[in-house]
Amino acid sequence: MSAHTVSMRDALYEAPGPKTRRRTRIITGISLVLVAIGVGLIVRQFYVTGQLDAKCWSFFLRQGTWRYLFNGFLGTMRVAATAGVISLVLGVVFMLGRTSGIKPLEVISRVIIDFFRGVPSLLLIYFFYLALPQYGLRISAFWMITLPVALAASGVLAEVFRAGVNAVPKGQTEAALSIGLTPGKTMFKIILPQALRIVVPSLISQLVVVVKDTTVAYVVSYPDLMQNARVLITNNDALVQVYFVVAILYILVNYGINQLSIYMARRSGNPIISRTTENPT
Amino acid sequence: MSAEIPVIELRNVDKHYGPLHVLQHINLSVGKGEVLVLIGPSGSGKSTLCRTINRLETIDSGEILIEGQPLPQEGKELAQMRAEIGMVFQSFNLFAHKTILDNVTLGPREVLKMPKDAAEKEAMELLTRVGVDAQAHKVPAQLSGGQQQRVAIARSLAMHPKAMLFDEPTSALDPEMINEVLDVMVELAREGMTMVVVTHEMNFARRVSNRVVFMADGQIVEEGTPSEFFDNPQTARAKEFLDSIRGH
Amino acid sequence: MGYAELFAAYGEKYLLAIFETLSMTVLCFAIAMVISVLVTVMRVSPIKPLRLVGDLYVQVFRNIPGVALLVIVAYALPYLKVLMPWKVCVEVVVVLLASAFGSENFMTGINAIGVGQIEAARSIGLTFTQTMTKIVIPQALRSAVLPMTNLLIATMLTTALGSQVPLNPQELTGLVSFITTRETAIGILPFTVSAVIYAGFSVLLGLAGNAIDRKVRVIR
Repeated sequence: MSAHTVSMRDALYEAPGPKTRRRTRIITGISLVLVAIGVGLIVRQFYVTGQLDAKCWSFFLRQGTWRYLFNGFLGTMRVAATAGVISLVLGVVFMLGRTSGIKPLEVISRVIIDFFRGVPSLLLIYFFYLALPQYGLRISAFWMITLPVALAASGVLAEVFRAGVNAVPKGQTEAALSIGLTPGKTMFKIILPQALRIVVPSLISQLVVVVKDTTVAYVVSYPDLMQNARVLITNNDALVQVYFVVAILYILVNYGINQLSIYMARRSGNPIISRTTENPT
Repeated sequence: MSAEIPVIELRNVDKHYGPLHVLQHINLSVGKGEVLVLIGPSGSGKSTLCRTINRLETIDSGEILIEGQPLPQEGKELAQMRAEIGMVFQSFNLFAHKTILDNVTLGPREVLKMPKDAAEKEAMELLTRVGVDAQAHKVPAQLSGGQQQRVAIARSLAMHPKAMLFDEPTSALDPEMINEVLDVMVELAREGMTMVVVTHEMNFARRVSNRVVFMADGQIVEEGTPSEFFDNPQTARAKEFLDSIRGH
Repeated sequence: MGYAELFAAYGEKYLLAIFETLSMTVLCFAIAMVISVLVTVMRVSPIKPLRLVGDLYVQVFRNIPGVALLVIVAYALPYLKVLMPWKVCVEVVVVLLASAFGSENFMTGINAIGVGQIEAARSIGLTFTQTMTKIVIPQALRSAVLPMTNLLIATMLTTALGSQVPLNPQELTGLVSFITTRETAIGILPFTVSAVIYAGFSVLLGLAGNAIDRKVRVIR
């Protein structure tokens, strides 16, 4: 009945006594100086190499620059959203296959899931960009980036959904079957809706992976944020500045998505199942 | 008892959590062999008080003395003092990655530097005494709550403590397991262990304790022998509390 | 072109590519583990500036896309007079990304222990060092086995970033792009070979991780 709950990171070190407090203060001072020196050195490096010159940054004052970046960002969002939806559907399909109870279907689904979880998304993109056209299959740049990103995510999502289904209490299945629902109806009417609610925070956090994967769109010349950044660089001769700004944009977007998923997880009490926490096989 | 130095003594202890004044001018002393029961409504500060005695909670002002010596603030001295005071928690807090036997021998081996054989021999004796010797090679998660709590008591006893603190030791237990833990505590009390017990078990308080301390809103409202307190409470707060737990 | 011809022409390159991918994976993962530990120590320390730097490190590198980090390291840093060989660029990127996730895994492992066990350790008189070495670190390591296995697999997949810069020899993804661009009628063959190798190693690593986890898992 501790009067307030403490997080583990605060619990590892106990409330300091006077000697410890003094030592903490000294080390804090030293580390502050070291951090300041580190930041100073980085800024200095930017300065001496001329990267802080006004001419390298002035084009960020132009509205057109931001509009162009924003268009790229919209492109990124279009790919991410489409890939996200496709991977949701595929994820559910693969999960249903894997838990169907029909042996051959289970094996096939498992192989598909393990395959898409086990290959780099870049390799999938090369498949759509380089291999498929050799068979005369012509798809647009949008689909060349969206499909592989969706496939790469679908394997992980299938496992996330499976974890969600497993998290629905067994009694639910038994109750549904006992009132005469078929196994199929039980899955679609009773289990799946509950499983979906459980995995909402996990799905949101998975969106980060999708957004990251879309950055390879430049391979297929699709105008996403990264590709538009490259165009800006050739027009303005400010590579360092553009890449840093774009990187910060990506970090902020993904940080926002992550925080949202953490918020949803806290509110609903459902854990975030991610690639790192799920079973690797 | 008055001539002896108390095992535990709190003088004018104050503690705040932000705006909350959770311990207000607490004065309390526990003599050798005394069994002191702390009761009171939840949020009264009784657990916090219990935890300040081995500095799991810090205090803002006042003094805590162990056998007349001020409670050390940090470092080896604090660890040494804690080794001499046993603590049993509401949620057992056994070390999840260690076997029951290793849970009990860890302290003797690491702190008292006992050789492995001697530590294990004594640990087995303690486990037998609390009735969980058959589980010695299991891990905590394989035991029932009552068994885990008895192991936790054995873990404390292995350090040969001068006094033991019990912070709601039966509150997290299923009803049928409460007695197996209380029995061990009764036994300890009979053997003369100095004990501070935060509990809601009024029967235990009545039967076993020498003194009952009733706390409310961070203050000691009333204290007395069990019969004084339970049969003839002096304050309205205590009467109210006793009525509420008696269910009318 | 069939498998036989593919291997006759590119077999040696494939072997080199497998070695590149695996050696980069192992090296990067090992360095990332060391950095994860350091960053985690900073993040749980009572020293505020170190905590802040550790948290910032993790948030930056777990949220930045690999490609965005690679272009910065490979193409932007030279403007700041930081010039590294291509391969080192890729390795730096993979290490930075993996170490951020590694630290998160350790933090999760530490969080799973719970305040209660720490207090129990203190109450029997263990010092800070003893509490760390006997209670916290062993449990954090054991519960990190599965997440770290997944991270090792993810690290291998991240080395595919090597296909975005000129490497010699190439790793598995870069090699596919190289072969497919040269042999315009080769179809999905080189792709399949690399994919099967990646997926095969992923499954193997996963199985190994599972086996270890079953042995050391802390039952709660």
